[in-house]
Amino acid sequence: MKTVGVIGAGTMGAGIALVCGRKGHQVKLLDANQAVLDKAQSYLQSILTKDVEKGKISEEQKADTLERMKLVSEMEQLAACDIVIEAVPERLDLKKTIYGELSRICRSDALLLTNTSSISITEIAGGLSHPERILGFHFFNPAPVMPLVEVIRGKKSSEENVELAYRFAKQLGKVPVLVTDTPGFIVNRIARPYYNEALRILGDNVADVEQMDRIMKRAGGFKMGPFELQDMIGIDINFATTQSVYSDFFHEGRFKPSRIQQRMVQAGSLGRKTGEGFYDYNK
Amino acid sequence: MTTTNKAVLLTGDSPLYTAFHQLLSDTGYRVLSREEAVNAPDTVFLAMEVNSVNLEAKQHELRALDHMLPADVPIVTTSLAITATEAASWTNHPERVCGFGTLVPLTERELIEIAPALQTEEAALLQTVSFFQSLGKETEVVEDEVGLVFPRILSLIINEAAFTLMEKAATREDIDTAMKKGTNYPYGPLEWADRIGLDEVYAISRGLQRDLAEERYRTAPLLRKLVLAKRFGVRSGQGFYNYENKEGCES
Repeated sequence: MKTVGVIGAGTMGAGIALVCGRKGHQVKLLDANQAVLDKAQSYLQSILTKDVEKGKISEEQKADTLERMKLVSEMEQLAACDIVIEAVPERLDLKKTIYGELSRICRSDALLLTNTSSISITEIAGGLSHPERILGFHFFNPAPVMPLVEVIRGKKSSEENVELAYRFAKQLGKVPVLVTDTPGFIVNRIARPYYNEALRILGDNVADVEQMDRIMKRAGGFKMGPFELQDMIGIDINFATTQSVYSDFFHEGRFKPSRIQQRMVQAGSLGRKTGEGFYDYNK
Repeated sequence: MTTTNKAVLLTGDSPLYTAFHQLLSDTGYRVLSREEAVNAPDTVFLAMEVNSVNLEAKQHELRALDHMLPADVPIVTTSLAITATEAASWTNHPERVCGFGTLVPLTERELIEIAPALQTEEAALLQTVSFFQSLGKETEVVEDEVGLVFPRILSLIINEAAFTLMEKAATREDIDTAMKKGTNYPYGPLEWADRIGLDEVYAISRGLQRDLAEERYRTAPLLRKLVLAKRFGVRSGQGFYNYENKEGCES
C-alpha cells in the first residue's frame, strides 16, 4: 500500500481521498482552509457510516479506514508521499505554484498526478525538475461513483510512470484509459458536440430545448438530453470547458462556443444550482 | 391506422432500406420495389426513399417516383445528407414530399424525426406522422435542416472520435470505453459508427459541410478514407474495428 497525498479537499478531492482510503492506502488530504477540511471530514465519516449500515464494511474497517486518512494543512506534510493527486480549482497559476512546491519537497520518484479536465499536463510540468513523473489523472464527478480515469501522458511523462499510474488506477478499482496531452483529452473533447451542436441547432431554430432532449433520449438512447445535462453540470462550467478546448485548439471551428450559452452565463442562469437554466426549477 | 394490405413503395441503398423492409413487413404492410409498383401505382399508399450517399441516385429515384405515382401519394425521403426542401425541389409535386431521419438499428429508436420541406403541405405532413406512428414509433416534427437533430449530433460526435483516433491521441478501444464510462453514452462512438454504417455517417457529415459550409463540419480524413475503402463497419466486415476474424480478434 502507498502513502497518497490529495491536494484540495473540495468535492472532487474528498471523493478521490475516499476512493484511495477504501482501497487500503495511507491518505493525507490537504487543504489550507480549515472549514473545507472540516466539511471533508464529516463527508468521509458519513459515507463510511453508510457503508457500515449497508453492510459493505464492518465497524472495524470503518475505524481502520478513518485511521489511515489524515487531514493536513501544510504542504510539507506531503513530503513522504509515494503518490500525490492534486485536485485544486482549474487555474494554471494555482497548479503551477503547487507543482513548484511539490517538485521541491517530494522524492524525485514520487508520482505527481493532476486531476485536471482541461489544463495541459505539459504546461503544468514545463520548467520543473523531474517532469517525467508529472501526469494527468482525470476522475469524473462524483469520483467514488464514476468508473473512468483518464491517464494523460504529458510531453515529458516517462513510459514507466504512465505504466505506474495506469496500474494505480486499476488498483483503485477504476477503468483507466490512456490519452496524449490534447485539449479536452478524450471525454471533454468528443462530448463537445453533444452540447455545442445542440446549442447550434437551437440557435438555428431547427428544434427547441424540450424537443431535443426528448429526441436524444428517445431516438438516441442517451440517458439525459443535452440541455437537462447542461443544467445539471452547470452552464457556466460547460461553457468554460468549451471555451478552453476552443482556445487550446487555436480556434478550430469544430469547437466554436455558443452565444446562447454565453448569454445564459452572463444572465446568471446557470442551471439547477441557480434554480433556472434551460428549464425552470422554481416551479 | 390499419396497415392491412396497404402497399409501401420502398427504395434506396442506405442501410435503412433493409431495416425498414423488415419493420414494414412485420407491421403488416406490403413492401414493393419501384419495379414491382410500376404496373400498379394506384395500389401504393406511400413511398419511402432512403438514399444518402449518392445524391444523383437520390435525385433520379425521387423524380421517377414523382413521375409514376398519383400526385396525392406522399413521398417520404431521408433528409440526412440533404434538406427535404432541396429533395422536394427536384419533383413536380413537391407539396407531397416530406423529410425524415433516423439511423439503424430501428429497434433502438423509440422516436423518429420528421422534417417537412418548405413546400410540404399539411396533408402530406399529417400522413407522414401517422405513417411512422403506425410503425410503433413516436414522432417529433423539426425544421428542415441536413441531418435533423439526432443523426446530426451523433455524426459530429463520431467525426470528433475519428479525428482523435487519426491523431493517435488514444486507441479506438480507449475512446469507446471513455465515452461509455465517463459520460454514460449507450455505445462508444466508434463501435456505434460501425453499427450505423460509416457511409451513412459520412453522408451526413458531408451534407452538413456542403450546406452550412463551415470548418465546424469538416469531415475527419480518416472517416472519409474508410468509406472510400468500403470499410462501412459491421455490415461490410470492417470499419473502425475488424469483424471478419471469427475468433473475435480485432486488428
